[in-house]
Amino acid sequence: MSNDHSKITYTIDHSTASQKVYDVVIVGSGISGSILANEIAKEGFSVLIVEAGPGKDLSLTGYEKLLNTFYTAVTKDNNAPYKSNPNAPMPRSPKVQKARLGHPNTDNYMVQNGPFVTDTSYSRVVGGTTMHWEAKTPRMLPEDFKMRTLFDKGLDWPITYRELQPYYRMAEKEIGVSGNVESQEFKHLDPITKEFSETSLYADNYVYPMHQMPPSYLDKCVAKDINGTTLELDGDKKELKVRSFPQGRNGIPNVEYRKYNNGEVYRPVAAVSSHQAEIGERCQGNNNCTPICPVQAKYDARKTLAKALRTGRVDLLPQTIASKVVVNPENGRVTSIEYKNYKDVNSSEYESGVLKGKIFILAANAIENARLMLASGLKSTSNLMGKNFMDHPYLLCWGLLPENTGTFRGTICTSGISDIRSGHFRRKQAAFAVDIHNDGWGWATGSPYTNLLDIVDNKNKYGTALRKELVSQVSRQLLLAFMVEMLPETSNKISVNPQYRDRLGNMRPVVSFHVPDYSMEGVAYGRELSKQLFQRLGAEDYSIYDPLDYGYVNYNGSGYAIRGGNHIAGTHIMGTSERNSVVNFKQRSWDYDNLFLIGAGSMPTIGTSNTTLTMAAMCFLSAEEVIKDLKKITSKTEIASPIYNSISG
Amino acid sequence: MTLREINDVEDLYEYLYAAIQLEHATIPPYITSMYTMKPNSNLEAYNVIRVIVVEEMLHLTLAANVLNAIGGAPNLIKEGFVPEFPTYLPNGEEDFEVNIESFSPKTIDNFLMIERPAREYQDGHVPKQFTSFKNTSRKRILPTYISAEGEEKHFYSIGEFYAFIGEGLTKLSLKLGEEEFFKGDPERQITPEYYYSGGGEIIPVTNLESALEAIRLISEQGEGFEGAIYDNEGELSHYYRFEQIKLGRYYLAGDTAGNPKGKELTIDWDAVYNIKTNPKMEDYPEESELYEANVKFNTYYKNFLAKINDAFNGNPQNLIPAIGEMFVLKNMAYELIHNPIPGKEGVYGAPTFEVDKVPEISKV
Repeated sequence: MSNDHSKITYTIDHSTASQKVYDVVIVGSGISGSILANEIAKEGFSVLIVEAGPGKDLSLTGYEKLLNTFYTAVTKDNNAPYKSNPNAPMPRSPKVQKARLGHPNTDNYMVQNGPFVTDTSYSRVVGGTTMHWEAKTPRMLPEDFKMRTLFDKGLDWPITYRELQPYYRMAEKEIGVSGNVESQEFKHLDPITKEFSETSLYADNYVYPMHQMPPSYLDKCVAKDINGTTLELDGDKKELKVRSFPQGRNGIPNVEYRKYNNGEVYRPVAAVSSHQAEIGERCQGNNNCTPICPVQAKYDARKTLAKALRTGRVDLLPQTIASKVVVNPENGRVTSIEYKNYKDVNSSEYESGVLKGKIFILAANAIENARLMLASGLKSTSNLMGKNFMDHPYLLCWGLLPENTGTFRGTICTSGISDIRSGHFRRKQAAFAVDIHNDGWGWATGSPYTNLLDIVDNKNKYGTALRKELVSQVSRQLLLAFMVEMLPETSNKISVNPQYRDRLGNMRPVVSFHVPDYSMEGVAYGRELSKQLFQRLGAEDYSIYDPLDYGYVNYNGSGYAIRGGNHIAGTHIMGTSERNSVVNFKQRSWDYDNLFLIGAGSMPTIGTSNTTLTMAAMCFLSAEEVIKDLKKITSKTEIASPIYNSISG
Repeated sequence: MTLREINDVEDLYEYLYAAIQLEHATIPPYITSMYTMKPNSNLEAYNVIRVIVVEEMLHLTLAANVLNAIGGAPNLIKEGFVPEFPTYLPNGEEDFEVNIESFSPKTIDNFLMIERPAREYQDGHVPKQFTSFKNTSRKRILPTYISAEGEEKHFYSIGEFYAFIGEGLTKLSLKLGEEEFFKGDPERQITPEYYYSGGGEIIPVTNLESALEAIRLISEQGEGFEGAIYDNEGELSHYYRFEQIKLGRYYLAGDTAGNPKGKELTIDWDAVYNIKTNPKMEDYPEESELYEANVKFNTYYKNFLAKINDAFNGNPQNLIPAIGEMFVLKNMAYELIHNPIPGKEGVYGAPTFEVDKVPEISKV
């Protein structure tokens, strides 16, 4: 039957929660925490989720209030739907300012030591950063897991693509991915033979749950001139092709998917609502996918969270900041989490307390997980906690096409170029994926709002003339976004400093960051490629990188304005031992046996894939491990209890 | 339209045409009431009605599937398919009008009348439940029925009407043999692949079982199941959804009729554009922008129906793009509803849905 609209029960107060010993305590209600909570609760175990931000209202009206906040916001940044919250602050890109030499940038929530100042952001609300994500869900490539072996760069993962493959499928089902498997079958390297392989990335004629989002007219226009472009890169011959991206938004169910869904056609998951809403089962092609989809056709973690809450075994405490992970020094096990609960975002008043569980999972994101661990003063055998911080640097290139291409129609991005994601060149320079943006120059210049202001204020147009001018300006816009690979370096890190605290006294994250040359080499190549592509398209290049831009990076005599990718990763990387990593491939802490640090923070490399899908896949793997642990604990308790009874009786 | 006892397939074609017409006829009043709410007001009420509209579209599609299954051909482009508003529902002596009008308590009362639950069935046999009354109006949503004795009767509720169709389907299936009776081309069925959005599962109809399942879903979504406020799928029926707006409170599972115990549903009856009730083309001064906007709307609406009709007649893949056009229709309706009628103080325009008075813009 249709989506479940039964009542979502989760209300619990802090004093009740504090008296319980939960099977699992999870910090963070984003996609990682929600997947773990749902998987664990389905097995009959009790779960408590603490969430720093507000957002317990899982009704359609509650969501529409967020939409309205976004619509009326002057600055449409990623966190525009969410009220400013000094008790659990979040990075806001419009607040980012250029670094001054020797002075950390402390205006924003994240203290930035530089030299590179990032405008990357994440959301501290129920649902986490999926409450502003774009929902692109490409898998990582097999070679991405073997960067050290194949290219002598970065790190190898302690797990291979093939081993992660079944979990990718679980993640694609959970998120509800619309995509076309064939479009993702570009040439990639086989990690064993080190040669280009024709083997499918997707075994057994796999298909995605739903058909691909229809490519936009803009995609087709670009494809017409770009498909077939050849280039040679470090000895590899490449032929470019515009390909559709898989994405976590509802499309038309693919009947072939039955095979991977117990014989059933995939049922798109509609808007989260406590009343029947019948909305969001299909993407309607609204162009403002980020930060939030007007109809909730885009997946966000509240969809998984609502399922978890409906099991009746999950409690959620929003507006509750985990302030310390407490460890018993005798056995090295986590015993509890200290929290601060604020009642009102406008007041600095809070109450603190302690939450107990058998297993603890930090799912607060790469920056917040590291921040919490470091603020808790816990030892790290590898000394890698907070280190190897990564994020995809983005280079934006924008131009005006010779003809009307209907820009600003369709979802934010439906297609792009993936051919430079793989190849032997990766021993020298970063790989990248290129997005064709259906929202025109929005990311680079603030279009269409900036166009509108310009036409009204500077061109004095109104009425029909205004409409015509606006359409003619924006509907030829082309923006190519180069999402460039970044490798782990220990000097790129998150740390804490007692000098920098938020309103509730929690230490803020301090970011030390530079864009490695390896990535900049990719950026420079991307810029040159963009010029070639613009030439083929007959597009006028309008890209300007202002030296005063906070993200301005000079490399080999040229300057580029780099944007953050909101793909924060790598602060508690996984590896093969407690000396080379923070967690194992199941995301279990090497140092604290009943602690899991989950999310993109565990990724040793991030390749050229948006991180969410891979992190979701890793979470399904971790869920199996946590459930195994819990079953062991439970069976021990069962054996132990008769003895206890005989003593007490 | 006057129907007779169901004796052959042709009779059922007429009934199912009437069913499709009936399902469609609720849509203009419902969407107009939604569109008269001022921007960012009454979001909850808007969503309550929106779900009902989505389900009416499902019902329309299900009725088309049943008609296609027995070899008929849906026709949404026939003259007179869209009723002339005001139109009437048969409810005995107290005959009342269904209007295109602004969102108001009175409008919700009318919607409650449209969706009112069937009276109790006796032995599951419906015909003897018909209310016999004299009303000669040609403008009614529910068709009249001429009994074997030549007496003109009326269906009390939409549910009764469908129960009658269900009986007819069963009777003819037995008489003609199921395989012979359900001889329609299965390729003409709208299947889940083509059906946009929720409101329950679309049921492809290929035999008596699936036909009766489709009929059951339509009746229960409208009026509940055997007097319960929730249907078999656990969804609140339309009558009680509207009642939530009237009572200002949501129903919860387990609640009894008239006694919702859920969250409060806040309504701002004043945040509404006061439109001309049952507007006609003549209400807009010729060559005024409103007149043009209304012609544009009606033309587009006519074409929209033609596209749906095309999808129901062998091109199911065309349903998805057709439904997408509802966004355009909504914006066109706003152009009318957000603008006052020249010379009429405080009275706003609205689409007239007079599709028979405009030409089609394009052939499908």
